[in-house]
Amino acid sequence: MTTIVHIVNQFFAGLGGEDKAGMPVGVIEDVAGAARGLQLQLGEEAKVASTVYYGDNYFHEHKEDAMKAILEAVRSAQPQVLVAGPAFNSGRYGVSCVEVCNAVANALGISCVTAMHGENPGIGTYLDFANTRVYCLPTAETTVGMNDALKRLAKFAMRLARNETVGSAQQEGYIPRGIRRLEQTDRPGAERAIEMLLKKIRNEPFESELPMEVWDEAPPAAPLAQVKERRIALVTTSGVVPWGNPDRFKTYRNTHWRKYNIAELKELEPGKWETVHGGYNVAYMNQNPHYGVPLDALRSLESEGAIGPGKLYPAYYVIPGNQGSPAVMRRVGQEIAADLKKDNVEGVLFVAT
Amino acid sequence: MSKELEKAGLPVALVSAMFPVAMQVRANRIVKGVSIPHPCGDPSLPKDLDARLRREIVRTALKALEAEVTGPTVFSPGIP
Repeated sequence: MTTIVHIVNQFFAGLGGEDKAGMPVGVIEDVAGAARGLQLQLGEEAKVASTVYYGDNYFHEHKEDAMKAILEAVRSAQPQVLVAGPAFNSGRYGVSCVEVCNAVANALGISCVTAMHGENPGIGTYLDFANTRVYCLPTAETTVGMNDALKRLAKFAMRLARNETVGSAQQEGYIPRGIRRLEQTDRPGAERAIEMLLKKIRNEPFESELPMEVWDEAPPAAPLAQVKERRIALVTTSGVVPWGNPDRFKTYRNTHWRKYNIAELKELEPGKWETVHGGYNVAYMNQNPHYGVPLDALRSLESEGAIGPGKLYPAYYVIPGNQGSPAVMRRVGQEIAADLKKDNVEGVLFVAT
Repeated sequence: MSKELEKAGLPVALVSAMFPVAMQVRANRIVKGVSIPHPCGDPSLPKDLDARLRREIVRTALKALEAEVTGPTVFSPGIP
């Protein structure tokens, strides 16, 4: 018999509305609130062993404690699958469902499924994590869609419990996470591409095998008045790193970044630096690292006063950008931004290759 | 990546030889780099000219940080 744990907020646990949103994490060793509906849909196949709940505000205001208590409660029930929500268009609830799913999937190695409306801010969090073990099903905007959502959650949870192969988002109906998977086919790429092209020419519907990432727009950050008085840092995806590649960057699909000290340096001496990047010919940059990290130019501008004394950040940031997935690069960008803000950097020179 | 920096309130001058791609992904302050394997300079130039070109590119990037922009804007370094 499959064991499932259901995560709900205080409202869907039947414990109260906004006035109870400060309620800490609790466990009901049975079904309560929405979990009762989930159990009905699961029927005899699976048992909701416990309902774990928390106040919408409590979760976000005491995230560390909340997450610890939730992980403990889930772990002790030893479920095969975790179900969270449905959260419909409730923002705090939706974000918490995704965060709990992500944490449980990582800590316990089990699959998790949640559900919410496409405009729930939790979807952004879901895309950021892009966790291969976490699925989110679309729901209606309000609880009008409760029955339908629970029915689909139950069905999906059972498939995860049986370790069935889950296909693409388009086939399976979950919200796409931006994860690309390799597939085998016995028809060569050229044949498939020409077939798609012919369909396109005939104005027939066709389906790309590599849907393009939809780029979100970031409004420009405000300009700097008097750049020479501002703290500036250099960030690069060129892949220039100290000779020997001490942090073991790969030539493609890196997931971590580093910063390297340049405080005492006037220039980057060839032979002391190397370029790790599988997307272009690195010979030029190996001969002259300044093509990726223009330290000589920065120092020269510093001596002219175009950059204030001591205003160049004492380290540069790097991740070889080749084949970086948008989700990873978003996370890396956020981490570097946080690090720069911590050290009061005000503007960034970014060298991309 | 550069967009996450901008979202955090840090203006970014993106030196890239692939400025059409930079426009397409909606980077805001784009500085034309020389070419993909050597955005900041040109190895076919004599050493001193190469260094001057690099300084011009960085100077343009600093200027870009001071510029008010409303969307993707390309800044071209002058030839020194």
